Amino acid sequence: MAATCVEFATGGFSFENCRRNAILEEKGLKPPKVYKTGTTIVGIVFSDGIILGADTRATEDTIVADKNCSKIHYLAPNIYCCGAGTAADTEKTTQIISSQLELHRLNTDRTVRVCTANRLLKQMLFRYQGHIGAALVLGGVDSTGPHLYSIWPHGSTDVLPYVTMGSGSLAAMSVFESRYTPGISREDGMKLVRDAIAAGIFNDLGSGSNIDLCVITKDKVDYLRPYDEANKKGVRQGKYAYKKGTSCVLTETVRKVEFVVESTQVKVEAMDTV
Amino acid sequence: MAVEFDGGVVIAADSRTSAGTYIPNRVTDKLTKVTDNIYCCRSGSSADTQAIADIVNYHINFHRMEMGEDPLVKTAAKVFQDLCYNYRDSLSAGIICAGWDRKLGGQVYSIPLGGMCIRQPVTIGGSGSTYLYGHVDATFKENMTKEECLKFCKDAVSLAIMRDGSSGGVIRMAAISEDGVEKHLILHEDITKFYRE
Amino acid sequence: MSLQMEQHEYGTPMQRYWSPYAMNGGTGLAVSGADFAIVASDSRLSEGFSIHSRDAPKTYQLTDTTVLSCAGFHGDILALTKYLEARLQMYEHEHNKKMSTSAIAAMLSTILYYKRFFPYYVYNIIGGIDDEGKGCIYSFDPVGSYERETYRAGGSAGSILQPLLDNQIGFKNQQGVVKTPLTLQKAVQLVKDVFISAAERDIYTGDSLVIRIITKDGVKTETFPLRRD
Repeated sequence: MAATCVEFATGGFSFENCRRNAILEEKGLKPPKVYKTGTTIVGIVFSDGIILGADTRATEDTIVADKNCSKIHYLAPNIYCCGAGTAADTEKTTQIISSQLELHRLNTDRTVRVCTANRLLKQMLFRYQGHIGAALVLGGVDSTGPHLYSIWPHGSTDVLPYVTMGSGSLAAMSVFESRYTPGISREDGMKLVRDAIAAGIFNDLGSGSNIDLCVITKDKVDYLRPYDEANKKGVRQGKYAYKKGTSCVLTETVRKVEFVVESTQVKVEAMDTV
Repeated sequence: MAVEFDGGVVIAADSRTSAGTYIPNRVTDKLTKVTDNIYCCRSGSSADTQAIADIVNYHINFHRMEMGEDPLVKTAAKVFQDLCYNYRDSLSAGIICAGWDRKLGGQVYSIPLGGMCIRQPVTIGGSGSTYLYGHVDATFKENMTKEECLKFCKDAVSLAIMRDGSSGGVIRMAAISEDGVEKHLILHEDITKFYRE
Repeated sequence: MSLQMEQHEYGTPMQRYWSPYAMNGGTGLAVSGADFAIVASDSRLSEGFSIHSRDAPKTYQLTDTTVLSCAGFHGDILALTKYLEARLQMYEHEHNKKMSTSAIAAMLSTILYYKRFFPYYVYNIIGGIDDEGKGCIYSFDPVGSYERETYRAGGSAGSILQPLLDNQIGFKNQQGVVKTPLTLQKAVQLVKDVFISAAERDIYTGDSLVIRIITKDGVKTETFPLRRD
């Protein structure tokens, strides 16, 4: 007799199917395709903070899986992080680190520093030796000023005034290399980041749709989503609404469902707070 | 590369980090601090060498707190070697550990790929070093002054930048002695040119 | 003196691989009516994650009444269309008349099957007017299997468009609808709309759409902008 038993995850990763999957792959089973955020993500340091930027396309091989996905992730009130690579990895990695940073903030009662987020991320990614396919652009402002890092899937990091990541990183970097100046103003910086993402959107097939921005300054975060629509969607001329009854019904049976009415009263108790 | 001189060491490196044909960072600082007077030069996988440098930094600073005095360069080199040797199958890291301590003065230790550790008066490492062996053998002299060492390092790294595709950018140098660290930056337009234009 | 992000491990065997083919994307589509045929394609030429050209339509006019749409490996498309043109010219010189659409389709099939074991990596659709003056469509696989149809989508977004055409032109999976014959105006509008949809979801389809409308009076061309991302 087959019995289903619900097992709860205990935390960490489960490797129980690794051997089975290796054997199945040896026998010719294709592993499932994962969502990749074939992406353009960028970040710059400007006169009084950080500007992060991202496109909003997620792809599954050659098909656009999500036309408006969010790639700028929250880490802490003063720190945000753009993710490229395997969508699930960037999402979960930033969530895990975000929770660790929140605990760190509660333990220390201080605004967490960007270098802490960087160290936690790089150590986690290095531990998994590149199997967690997350390429990140980390930016934030703390007591020591604005900081910008790029973090690679194998766990190496770079500190630079302007960084790009993802499949559109070369297109975006060409914009930065020609137009970035140290101490750039907020307005010019936002325009520059917009143009860098647009370069990725139009010249890299893995990137597309809209432009999201996140401007982080000492005491304010502006999360602009969308900041700009790089290209407008085409307008369809025909009408494709179906008349009622167009879908054919194969069989129809009406069954009476017996049900029992039970009434239970819940007594309100005071919460155990002591 | 790194060179010992009387009373200290000079370390130098280019600033290129590459991923295939793309250069994600053209101004990398490969001269990584371990303590105030011990540095390392990293080559190989940047993820591996950054992780190693972070771990050694942790161990050595812990050691300093326990001992209540500055650690020896030899000690730091040994910690590098332990990691590089024990994890030699999964690491791709060529490290030069150099610095100054009160016991032996300026010292250079080379920890190449397999996890060996050897003290040398001068050492070179990384992909560009293959272009430099002849030059280093011909040019290196015992008992050079600090200024001579700086010139020697600048020339050598310039040669590597000109010939090796994986080396490039600016030259970062540092002279470490009892008085601390004196950093030098040589921009790409100022590197030594050995050819006639 | 160098740092690398990712590195190949030395000493382990590594297989080198080279393919004589590339996939340059692109979508082709053909629809026929009582006295017309429409052949349409997008104009994007791409490889991997990069765009080679935004202005490379994949429709080729073969005669006054026949248009070919090709998607797949651009190198083979060039070779195949050049060869087809030569064969059409030879036919005209030999017989002193243009080749009919059905004859071109039969010839293309033999050309493709001739290279059965080193195929042209091209997905072909022919649209035109047949000997009776009716619109006709012929669709092919890369090694020459072909059939006459009334509508067909092929290339990178072919699998996205075909079900849509089945539903809208073939009236598939619809109950109690009046199966009205396709008008030219409705067909052109439908072609534009399905390409707008394809450009939304297929990364190899976009930039602009070229529509070739074939009637007994000849071929008219229309262009229409698509997404450029």
